[in-house]
Amino acid sequence: MADSGGTAAVRRCDSGSVSSIGMDTISALTELEDLERVYQQLCDGEKEVEAKLDRLVAQEGNIHTKMLALQRMGPNLQLIGGDASQLSGMITFTCSLAENVSRKVRQLDLAKTRLYNVIQRTDDILDLKFCTDGVQTALHNEDYEQAAAHIHRYLSLDQSVIELSRQGEESSAVDASLVLLQEAEQKLKVIVAEKLDEAVAAVDLAQVERFFKIFPLLGLHQQGLARFGQYLCSQLASKAEENLILATGGDLGEKRAQLIFADTLTLLLEGIARVVETHQPIVETYYGLDPIWTHSMMKSVPGEIIEPRELDPVLSEVTLMNARAELYLRFLRRRIMADFEVGDIQKHQQNMEKLLKHCLLSTNMQELIGYYIPMEEYYMRESVNKAVAMDTYEKGQLTSSMVDDCFYIVKKCISRALSSSSIDCLCAMINHANSVLESDFREVLYNKLRQGFPATTLQDIQRNVSSAVILMQSSLQQGKFNTLGIESTENAKAAFLVTLNNVEVCSENITTLKRNLENDCSKLFSQTGGSGDQAKIESCLSDLVNTSTKFKDLLQEGLTELNTTAIKPQVKPWISSFLAISHNIEEEEFNDYEANDPWVQQLIINLEQLMTEFKMALSPVIYDTLTSLMTSLVSIEMEKTVLKCSFSRLGGLQFDKELRSLVAYLTTVTTWTIRDKFARLTQMATILNLERVTEILDYWGSNSGPLTWRLTPAEVRQVLALRIDFRSEDIKRLRL
Amino acid sequence: MSMEDYDYLFKIVLIGNAGVGKTCLVRRFTQGLFPPGQGATIGVDFMIKTVEIRGEKVKLQIWDTAGQERFRSITQSYYRSANALILTYDITCEDSFRCLPEWLREIEQYANNQVVTILVGNKIDLAEKREVLRQKAEDFAESQSMLYLETSAKESDNVEKLFLDLACELIREAKQNKLDNTDSAPMPGEGKAISYLSCCSLN
Ligand SMILES: Nc1nc2c(ncn2[C@@H]2O[C@H](COP(=O)(O)OP(=O)(O)O)[C@@H](O)[C@H]2O)c(=O)[nH]1
Ligand SMILES: [Mg+2]
Repeated sequence: MADSGGTAAVRRCDSGSVSSIGMDTISALTELEDLERVYQQLCDGEKEVEAKLDRLVAQEGNIHTKMLALQRMGPNLQLIGGDASQLSGMITFTCSLAENVSRKVRQLDLAKTRLYNVIQRTDDILDLKFCTDGVQTALHNEDYEQAAAHIHRYLSLDQSVIELSRQGEESSAVDASLVLLQEAEQKLKVIVAEKLDEAVAAVDLAQVERFFKIFPLLGLHQQGLARFGQYLCSQLASKAEENLILATGGDLGEKRAQLIFADTLTLLLEGIARVVETHQPIVETYYGLDPIWTHSMMKSVPGEIIEPRELDPVLSEVTLMNARAELYLRFLRRRIMADFEVGDIQKHQQNMEKLLKHCLLSTNMQELIGYYIPMEEYYMRESVNKAVAMDTYEKGQLTSSMVDDCFYIVKKCISRALSSSSIDCLCAMINHANSVLESDFREVLYNKLRQGFPATTLQDIQRNVSSAVILMQSSLQQGKFNTLGIESTENAKAAFLVTLNNVEVCSENITTLKRNLENDCSKLFSQTGGSGDQAKIESCLSDLVNTSTKFKDLLQEGLTELNTTAIKPQVKPWISSFLAISHNIEEEEFNDYEANDPWVQQLIINLEQLMTEFKMALSPVIYDTLTSLMTSLVSIEMEKTVLKCSFSRLGGLQFDKELRSLVAYLTTVTTWTIRDKFARLTQMATILNLERVTEILDYWGSNSGPLTWRLTPAEVRQVLALRIDFRSEDIKRLRL
Repeated sequence: MSMEDYDYLFKIVLIGNAGVGKTCLVRRFTQGLFPPGQGATIGVDFMIKTVEIRGEKVKLQIWDTAGQERFRSITQSYYRSANALILTYDITCEDSFRCLPEWLREIEQYANNQVVTILVGNKIDLAEKREVLRQKAEDFAESQSMLYLETSAKESDNVEKLFLDLACELIREAKQNKLDNTDSAPMPGEGKAISYLSCCSLN
């Protein structure tokens, strides 16, 4: 609206300027063009003015009717004017009336207040007198509670009133009373303080509490709390001192002796907790308690200990102490929280957390845990080293003693860290455990595997003379030196296989350890609950998964080594002996082979013998993987060998039979699928078994049905060419 | 592991004297804020932030440690598995700079030898109170073959750059490692399962 008004104004201004083209300007014009332009402007101006006039004239009727209406309203307005002035008069009157009334009320009110004051003062003066008399009597009767009650009454009197009274007529009497009262107050304060000190000295709890209660009546809240706090502190301290003396002087042969300091601490903290519980209002004063005991505890932690076993009790004790301290802090937290109004819990909680986290008890405990962690790490590392050094292996067992021992130690250390209730402590120990397992312990196993699986000629003797008794006899005949040689070789073999088992069990154990710790921690969190803490632990635990994987990799390495040194050199010649068996055969030889198997049965027996040793010595999982490696090897070597042979029709059939027997046997020794590994060989046998070259087309391309060819067309031709009765032109002519 | 949605996972540990601003740097980077009056760190704190670098998701596990002596044995346990260490000092506090050799000894003793270390001078918003010359710090960092960067957790100066540069460097090293490992590949077992996190002391 304002905007359109603005533009309208501007336009009006413009048209004004047009119409203001004066006669002078016009007469100054000489050009026709200019004249015509000005004329046109003037004409436009005229038209505009006419239009405006028309509009104005059109409004006349409207304005007329409005004027008439206004004239008709005149008399009414006069009437209203009269009424209004009358009303105003009435309001003014009422107003002054009200003013009068309220002034009187105010006066009344003032009178009443003064009256009350007078009564109050009279009361106070009477009270003062009463108190003065009462205090004297009470003091005289040694009724300190009563005396304190009088003083309390006096102290809660309005000081200004007392001041006023002293200016009044009875000033001297009041003054005298006041002096007396003040004297009594001072006297009472001294007495109460003395009596409390006496009671403290006499360790008379009833008296202590009696005088403790009098302090706030005398306005001495802080002093009372401080004295009482001191009392409780000294009580606890002396009790703790007693326990400590008992602890240090006690007979260390007792069963709990190793935990004596933790027990002492527990007693102390329990004592404090009990005190806090009974004296709830003064909880806050107890923060300063801890230096007494932590200090004495610290002295008890030995500095230089080499023997890890001796560290055991100290470590258990420290974690127990921390757990107790955590429990105590949790107790305080709960108590303090219960005191807060619902509204400011959040603000208070932050302050409280800060207070508790940075209080002396917490920092001392943090320091203690700071000492604990390297000790526990030392304990763990040394114990694991010891387990490695004392490693023993019993015949018939798959693993040796160090694996069980090592995990027992690691579990023990982590559990102990967990029992401290300190998340950071637990995480640090998980980190260290991971380091010990991944570096130290894995290195031990790695080095054992690196010594390799011995491949000696004795192995061949063992193969050929398959009776252990004969082997023993022959080696005995060869003299002592060789016996030792055999023994050490056998030992080295066993050591390698046991190490493989060890590696596998480690990988499994680490996974189990992680799972168990997850469970334990989730139990812990259901009590304390901190999502940040949980993330921390999860992250540390997830490192264990990486370590477990590293052990799996190591196992794979070891198995590959075993396959290369112990299986490959044996299996290869067995397979290549296939070359010595002619497969370019006729009916007679085929039947002969039927009666006297020329090759495959011996191969199966050899494989069976070779693997038996491993089957007995390796865990089922590892053995299975090893067989898988072995079967792969067999299939690859077979393929290579077959391609070097030549086959007649019946030779192909013979090979098909042999392959079937071999696959059937291998299927029984492993859970892995064999068919897949032997797919190419099976297809080669199929080809070698064909009647005619073109018969391959019944199995090829669109005719292959469910069969997926693993052989390329070139390989198919190569295999077909192994058949001496197939003509190479026919093979070439094939469209594959 | 494979279910999780990232291409790389790196552990970064912040160390340095108490009060130099480690916690503030971490909070600035992970939460985008400068925390007012939080207490000193207790033990270690743990935060995660996933960033994207040249189309690859990089998950950073950031461990913020307490500088005080009494937490040293806790924080030391994190060095070994750290991929990177951020060694922080306060440019307005000569003391925190003088302590650096002590921290370097810790690193030498506990960290794995492939760890990437970056020296950070924090609080550059307090330029008028500077006590450690930039050149001096740069020279020191170079002599110890560390990267160097100056930051302000308060003004958010260089904080993002600090962590992203570090992530880039770690990716670069991880790729290099992978190459080296496939080059020599004498260990059939390690070959396929090798991870960029592999910082084991073997081989
Ligand atoms: N002016 C300024 N103050 C900072 C900066 N970073 C941290 N601070 C302050 O330094 C103090 C210590 O910071 P904090 O992060 O707790 O140090 P931390 O002990 O290394 O974790 C706090 O008061 C912070 O407010 C910064 O970049 N500039
Ligand atoms: Mg901090």
